[in-house]
Amino acid sequence: MLSQQLVYWAYGVGGFGALCVYFGLPKEGRPERRGLFVLLLAVTLGGLVLLFDRLLGESANRFVFSILALLGVGGAVRVVTHPRPVYSALYFILVVLSTAALIIYVGAEFLGVALVIVYAGAILVTYVFVIMLSQQSTEATESRFASVLDYDRSAREPVWAVLAGFILMATVAAIIVKRDWSDWDEVSAAAMTEKNTLELGKMLMTEFAISVELAGVLLMVAMIGAIAVAKKRIPHASDAVESPPRGEVGKTVDPF
Amino acid sequence: MAHPTSLMIIGAILFGLGATGFLTRRNMIVMFLCTEIMFQGVLVNLVGMGMMHGNLEGQVLGIFVLVIAAVEAGLGLAIVVMMYRRRGTLDAESWRQMRG
Repeated sequence: MLSQQLVYWAYGVGGFGALCVYFGLPKEGRPERRGLFVLLLAVTLGGLVLLFDRLLGESANRFVFSILALLGVGGAVRVVTHPRPVYSALYFILVVLSTAALIIYVGAEFLGVALVIVYAGAILVTYVFVIMLSQQSTEATESRFASVLDYDRSAREPVWAVLAGFILMATVAAIIVKRDWSDWDEVSAAAMTEKNTLELGKMLMTEFAISVELAGVLLMVAMIGAIAVAKKRIPHASDAVESPPRGEVGKTVDPF
Repeated sequence: MAHPTSLMIIGAILFGLGATGFLTRRNMIVMFLCTEIMFQGVLVNLVGMGMMHGNLEGQVLGIFVLVIAAVEAGLGLAIVVMMYRRRGTLDAESWRQMRG
C-alpha cells in the first residue's frame, strides 16, 4: 500500500519539521539549542528528499527538483526563525529565487520571471526600505543577540503556533499524497510548456481581458491608498509655541 | 517532467510555514514577510494544479495572485509605517489593547 506509506512519511516529516521550527524560534529565557535545530532541520530535509524521491519515481531530473525544493523550504524555515528582520528578508529572497527556478523548471517560464522581477526586485526592496526606516537603537545586553530587539528575541506562543501551522500542513500534504493522481494529463502538460509566454499573453488579452483591467485599477487604488495612509503630517514651527486657529494657510496642515 | 504532486506538497509546506510564522512572530514586518511566504505557497500550488489539468489557467491565476501580493505589500507596509510612527515600536503586542 504505497499511498498509505506516503501518508505516514508526510506525517513524520511534518512532526520533525514542527520540532525543528519550535527549537529554532527565538524565545527569551530558554537556552538556545542551535545544534538540535540544525540536526532536526537536516533530518526534516532528508525526509523530504526521500518523500520526493518516492513521489517522483524514476523521472530524469529529480535531483534538480529536490535541491530547489530543499533550498526553498530551508530558506522559509530561516525566514520564520531568524531573530533579525534584515536576515529574514534576505532569506526570503532565497525562497523567491528557488521557487521561481522550480516554476521555470516545470515549464511556467513567464510566471517564474515575473516572480523574480516583482518579488525579488520590487517587493523585497520595499521591505528592506521599511526595515531600514524603522531601525531602532537598543541598549547593550550580555545576550548573544545583543543588538536584537526584545520582541524579536521572544516568540509569541510558539507551541500553539507551531501546532496550528504544522497540523494544517500535514493534513494538506496527507490529502495530496493519498489521492491517486495517475489520471493526470502528462501529454497536454508537456505541450503546455511550449510557447508558454505567447499562449499566456493570448489568454490574458482575450479570455481574461477584463480581469487584467481590474488588476490595473486595483494597483492604482492601492497606490493612492498607500500614499494617503502613510502621509506624514508636517508640523509647523509655530504649532509648538501656541495653537493657532485652524484653517490659516501655512500654519496648520490638515491632511483631510 | 516532475510530477505536479511534488509541487503541491511544496506549496503546502510553504503555506504552513508562513502561517506558523505569522502566528508566532511579533515584529510586524516579519509577520508580513510570512504572509508573502504563504502567497508563494499558493502560487506554487496553482502552477501544479494547472499542470494537472493541462491548461494555462493556473498560471493566469498565479499572475493575479502576484498582483494581489504587490498590492498587499504596498498597503501593508504603509500601515506598518503608520503604526510605527504612532507607537515608536514594531512590536505587534503593543497593539494588544485592540483585542476584543
